[in-house]
Amino acid sequence: MSQNFITEATVFEEVKKAIAETLNIDKDLIKPESSLIKDLGAESLDFLDINYRLEQAFGIKMARHFILEHIEEMFGEGSAIDANSQITDKAVSLLQFRMGENFPELRPGMDMDEVPALVTAQSLTSGVLDILDSLPEKCSACGNSEWQSENGLRIKCGSCGEYAAFTNGDDLIKAWLTKVQEEKKIF
Amino acid sequence: MSREFSKRRVVVTGYGMITPLGKNTEETFRSASQGLSGIDYITSFDTKGLPCQIGGQVQDRWLDEIHDPVAQRYYKFSARGLRLIRAATLEATEQAQTEKIAARDRIGVSLGYHADNPTIEDLVFLHRFYNGNGSWDMKGLLQAGGYSYLNFLRRKPDVVTSMLSILSNCKGPNLSIVSACAAGSQAIGEAYRMLQEGKADVMIAGGCDTTLNFIGFIGFVLIKALSERYTTPQKASRPFDRKRNGFVMSEGAGTIILEELEHARSRGVPVYGEILGYASSADAYRITDTHPKGLGAILAIRGALEDAGISSEDVDYINAHGTSTVQNDLTETVAIKEVFGERAKSIPVSSNKSMLGHTIGAAGAIECVLTLAGINQSTILPTINYEFPDPKCDLDYVPNVARTQEHRIAISNSFGFGGQNACLCIGKFDG
Repeated sequence: MSQNFITEATVFEEVKKAIAETLNIDKDLIKPESSLIKDLGAESLDFLDINYRLEQAFGIKMARHFILEHIEEMFGEGSAIDANSQITDKAVSLLQFRMGENFPELRPGMDMDEVPALVTAQSLTSGVLDILDSLPEKCSACGNSEWQSENGLRIKCGSCGEYAAFTNGDDLIKAWLTKVQEEKKIF
Repeated sequence: MSREFSKRRVVVTGYGMITPLGKNTEETFRSASQGLSGIDYITSFDTKGLPCQIGGQVQDRWLDEIHDPVAQRYYKFSARGLRLIRAATLEATEQAQTEKIAARDRIGVSLGYHADNPTIEDLVFLHRFYNGNGSWDMKGLLQAGGYSYLNFLRRKPDVVTSMLSILSNCKGPNLSIVSACAAGSQAIGEAYRMLQEGKADVMIAGGCDTTLNFIGFIGFVLIKALSERYTTPQKASRPFDRKRNGFVMSEGAGTIILEELEHARSRGVPVYGEILGYASSADAYRITDTHPKGLGAILAIRGALEDAGISSEDVDYINAHGTSTVQNDLTETVAIKEVFGERAKSIPVSSNKSMLGHTIGAAGAIECVLTLAGINQSTILPTINYEFPDPKCDLDYVPNVARTQEHRIAISNSFGFGGQNACLCIGKFDG
């Protein structure tokens, strides 16, 4: 269910904080559209660090794998990346559907190596919000539905005090892919 | 080719190894020339739930077969690293007959190793006496007496180097190298340099590592360096293949006896090859990402050729670092093309890691010895699991089957995390 405890602005603020602390840069340099690699100078190891900070802040589990890896796993080898290490047309249209039209780099024939540069502060924010929106209706510990926010960042049960258990990022991507495939039959 | 022998020449008078493919050089080389894999499911610790559950283990029974009472009393200083390097070193020193050399202060040791990881049991034990806020119950800890002083020694990477000097009675220079995957090559390269400069007459050089335990393994899992997608364990390490997706962790050790040429001649021992050149460099770029244009790798390869006084035209074979990670194999290919130009595509390039996995600090030493054995047996070892060509990796990787081909001069690449690079130039002994 979508949740109303943590706002997008709050999540974006935390994302900025995580990036700024990881890269040791000024928070004000980070815009929603900033590419972590291209604009902010992140390296691959920094993604793990930023994800870890967000997981600690919100009590969530971020996706460990890029969506392309999930596509390959679900729809077979070669479905997302062709023999020339280029993103397939089908995967590109799927990514456009997921990420919006604001990515001119995202085009058929794009190289696999260019994909990590598509991660922006905004895409991380959406990722976190997706996970937070997996808030179950009822507390898995006591069965009541009395969620409350703690510090505006964590959601806990007002009845028994347990923190909410969210679906992890990888499972959410898989569920999304399954749904889109059923509706659009891309693969 | 014209080389000037203004510096002292350094030759190889012995070598040894213990690897997932065999208990010595002969066994390992034979299995590798058949294109066999030493990778299987890990049994040394519980891998349940881990996204990677495979590795290249050295068989315990091979270690148990070695009758070595002198060394046994020192095993407590190292969980496994010492046993591995001792096995490789016994093979090498026996071949080179180093025990007959009188001047022990002219024999040195140079070793690449990264020490033991703490065990979970030790950490759990310590945790009992810690309040979580920086305070220790030292009285309780000392009274319990279950935490051994040996743990301190096991985590010092230099202790095994010292042990080798004690066990082989070598009083010359003693050098410990800690440079990740480049350590084995650097240990040999720096030993070669010491011999060239006259600091010693003989150097026992090599590397060992053993990371197939929970604490050692989990770090590599978390940074996603290991292969997580494989149909069978034997197929996971696939350097330069388009479907490569990470390296496979292995353990092992390799030792090489380097000797100044005239010293070897005066002893009348057989010579198995020559170290012609060496260079090391740093990417000065990032911790796990390689420099996209392979600048550090290029510096190391060019430096080794220059040091050997040869041109890129003279190289007949390249023993690649070839880890099976997406980045390394691409960057290494880019670097080879830059150094060797048009000729790059006609030089055989192969990765022993396709069969052995990645033995980290031991890799450079094992690969140097296998390169030498290949030169002497006119055999170029294959890159196995090469099934799907990667358009960006377009060299001759000696796919799947060993090649019988005479070759005289080879280079062996080793590139470590943090952008630490080493390259050795190895030649057939010309007399």
